Amino acid sequence: METEPRIVAFLCNWCSYAGADLAGTSRINYPPNVRPIRVMCSGRVDPAFVISALETGADGVLVTGCHPGDCHYVSGNLKAEKRMKTTKELLELLGLGSERLRLEWVSTSEGGKFAQVVTDFTEYLCKREPSPLKAGFEEKPPIKAEEIISKALKNTNVQYCLECGKCSGSCPISKVNDAYSPRRTVERFLLGFGGTILSTADLWTCMTCFTCTERCPSDVRFPEFVRACRRVASKEVMEELCAHRGVPIALSRIMTNPGLKQQRMSWLPEGVETSQRGELLYFVGCLPYFDVVFEDFNLELLRIPQSVVKILNRAGLKPVVLDNEKCCGHDLLWSGDLENFERLARMNVAEIKETGATRVVTACPECYRTLAKDYNELLDNLDFEVLHVSELISELINEGKLKYDVKVPRRVVYQDPCRLGRHMGVYEPPRNVIANIPGIELSEMSRNRENSVCCGVSAWLSCNKYSKAVQIERLMEAKATGADLLVTACPKCQIHWKCVTGEKLPISSDEMTMEMRDLSVLAAEAMKLI
Amino acid sequence: MKMSKMKVNNSVLVIGGGIAGMQASLDLASRGSKVYLLERSPSIGGRMVQLDKTFPTMDCSICIVAPKMIECLRHSNIVLLTYSEVQEVSGSTGNFTVRVLRKPRFIREERCTGCGICAQYCPVEVPNEFDMGLGIRKAIYIPLPQAVPLKYTIDEEHCLKCGLCERMCGAEAIDLYQKPETITLNVGAIIIATGYELFDARTRSEYGYGRHKNVLISLEFERLLSASGPMGGHIVRLSDGHIPKRIAFIQCVGSRSLKGGVGFCSSACCMYATKESILIREHEPECEVYIFYNDLKVFGKGYEDFVSRARDEWGVKYIRALPGEVAEDAKTGDLTLWYEDTTENVTKNIKVDLVVLCPALIPRAANKELAGIIGLELDRYGFFKPKDPLFAPVDTNVEGVFICGYCQSPRDIPESVAQASGAAARAAEVIASAASKEAR
Repeated sequence: METEPRIVAFLCNWCSYAGADLAGTSRINYPPNVRPIRVMCSGRVDPAFVISALETGADGVLVTGCHPGDCHYVSGNLKAEKRMKTTKELLELLGLGSERLRLEWVSTSEGGKFAQVVTDFTEYLCKREPSPLKAGFEEKPPIKAEEIISKALKNTNVQYCLECGKCSGSCPISKVNDAYSPRRTVERFLLGFGGTILSTADLWTCMTCFTCTERCPSDVRFPEFVRACRRVASKEVMEELCAHRGVPIALSRIMTNPGLKQQRMSWLPEGVETSQRGELLYFVGCLPYFDVVFEDFNLELLRIPQSVVKILNRAGLKPVVLDNEKCCGHDLLWSGDLENFERLARMNVAEIKETGATRVVTACPECYRTLAKDYNELLDNLDFEVLHVSELISELINEGKLKYDVKVPRRVVYQDPCRLGRHMGVYEPPRNVIANIPGIELSEMSRNRENSVCCGVSAWLSCNKYSKAVQIERLMEAKATGADLLVTACPKCQIHWKCVTGEKLPISSDEMTMEMRDLSVLAAEAMKLI
Repeated sequence: MKMSKMKVNNSVLVIGGGIAGMQASLDLASRGSKVYLLERSPSIGGRMVQLDKTFPTMDCSICIVAPKMIECLRHSNIVLLTYSEVQEVSGSTGNFTVRVLRKPRFIREERCTGCGICAQYCPVEVPNEFDMGLGIRKAIYIPLPQAVPLKYTIDEEHCLKCGLCERMCGAEAIDLYQKPETITLNVGAIIIATGYELFDARTRSEYGYGRHKNVLISLEFERLLSASGPMGGHIVRLSDGHIPKRIAFIQCVGSRSLKGGVGFCSSACCMYATKESILIREHEPECEVYIFYNDLKVFGKGYEDFVSRARDEWGVKYIRALPGEVAEDAKTGDLTLWYEDTTENVTKNIKVDLVVLCPALIPRAANKELAGIIGLELDRYGFFKPKDPLFAPVDTNVEGVFICGYCQSPRDIPESVAQASGAAARAAEVIASAASKEAR
């Protein structure tokens, strides 16, 4: 392994790049560890660039821009400052340390300052351990595309397709984009032209919401077939389609690194009780990261784990919470990265087993499905049962171990998340949790339970005008029920919907904007815990 | 009559009073066998009496089946055991002993004249099973006007025991304290013709049956079409009474499904949907009819012509697609179907006023019980298993017990009738050969 630190530097075109140039023309010495990349403005530097640089082996990332007030684009550098602050928080959470990212102002005339900045940073990185992400992994064995696809055609029942088109008549995307059809995708694979789809966006369009699977008379599990195809499909196409420049997926990938020691526990409120070992484990998921990545949405997603732990405490349970819990790997699995998914699965299962837990509860339907179904398929003898928190709360309410303390005189409507509903068949426990709250009125959208509509995006793929159309329609449907609070049991639903309500849209936002709440938070509020 | 002398019994028990059961009974009775025709419900007639017309000849269903029902009633060799169930079967071919439960009608059958005064006065109204719950009957009722036997029955579940009927009945036929009775029959052979029931279309919730008022199942629609039905043969929407301008049929609701349904084709739906479509065009020439299908399974004699006629002469539109879902406009009750036209490769939607679902026709759940009583084998769907599907289609694993009609495998009326005659012939054969062995 290379021991010399390597720095990727993003230099703004107008000030810093010229500054670096001046350092060169002035023959100022500075360490050769820096790899400069010119960008038009420091504001152009996305957190994804920083994450990507670190993921691919950089020890440090340097971002330089014009001094505040000097920005060629008025305020690009101020935006960079804000962004880098969030990015630093992410690096801190990951356990990489925020010092691996530096933001400096270097003007055209400051050749010396540029050299100084690089020298300081290099010296600092020399003193530190190399980035744990540098280790990398062994080369993957080549993927046998044909074998994977022919196996998937069999395993997911695609070969039993009746060509009835019920999938396309069910697909939320097909309804807004008539060029997309699960049936035609399947047809092309069955006719032997599937290869052409592997390099198109069609393969990444499926939201894997399972509506088609729920209704298919031949039990064709199209989303699972798509998942298998994504393993062998063109990754360039996928990267283009990744939402948020691929940051969420990159975070999952980074977590596969065994040397990483995350710093993710700061959400744990004071006074709550957790244990190191025990029967019940609470699998938190990516929420600590989401509150940072989606800071602008102001969703306060960390209220979810806080609510869960407080509710469990109220019932006399002290859940185990893992301080180095990895991402469950859901997004990697559904975007075709089976190798990294397996790494995460094995690490998580090992950590869970270590605690002696026999029940694992999660507040995220994606974690729920992944742990309960996909881990089980991958690894034998899991020795633990997986529950969604709504099932546990509902159970505790039915047993009389939990009671609500305050009236919540609101009319709520509940969204069945795909992973909780169609994937795992959990429809009634969340409703039981809501309906038991005194004073609450639970109304239903016309498409509910197994007919519920996806929040529009899954695995951070293919967020586009079609998914926006799906989201808008669904939000309007929720609004039309007359309810004033939209409750969902999946944090991702909230993220994706909040995203669309912030867009500039031709319809008035009054028609679709609703107050949203996570199920656990609502329950905790009714117990006066939060 | 001593049992030792008369080991072989010349009589036959037919279980199920639908068209197959009636046909088998009449065949056997005509050749001199004594037939006990057992039926669970208060009247014989089966499913066929609920139909408006029959395909492909467009005969009035009740008009052709009623004479057969009367013949069963009048035939001196046929004993009708309606409102009865088989409790126990013992013995073997040529000599079965069958215990039959006669459920109480709370009516003295021999006295009831069928005048109907009781029902006029009965204060309890319940949905009528014959009209698939679309019409109303009283707690004291005959299932249909042409009921055979024309004897009233009190539905114990809903009866208030107010005694009004008892006071009004001129024939003193009411007996509110009637007890169930058990009788024992000796028969040489048994024929089973229990027919089918309907797949619960509610379980395919994407089509909204049970939630959307204007989504019907085909047998309900058949009652709407029927002149004797709750709407007097007028096609109207249940939500607002308007005459629909566009009707869509959806085939294969629960049939041909590896999941969430049954794995076989019901074999009658494509044809009856075509029949009902023609009837719609006859009744309401302005009304457009769409049939959403996956494969048109029209294999009988004259069936292809029937469909061609529907398409070309009656303008019925066949669309090769199964819709994904039916959405309801809560205000108007109009329905939107989403589907992919698989010949044009485009995902579309269509607004219709009424949707008719064609649910799978499935073997009766009670077959399991009956199979247990007799010791018969069922296949994985619940159909009675023939001894040999090719060469002994009406025989079963129990000698002397035969099967015919839909309870053996999916089929339509003509095939059921043909098979019933076959089963009757096999039963007669068994009795004869057992008798000849006895004689030797």
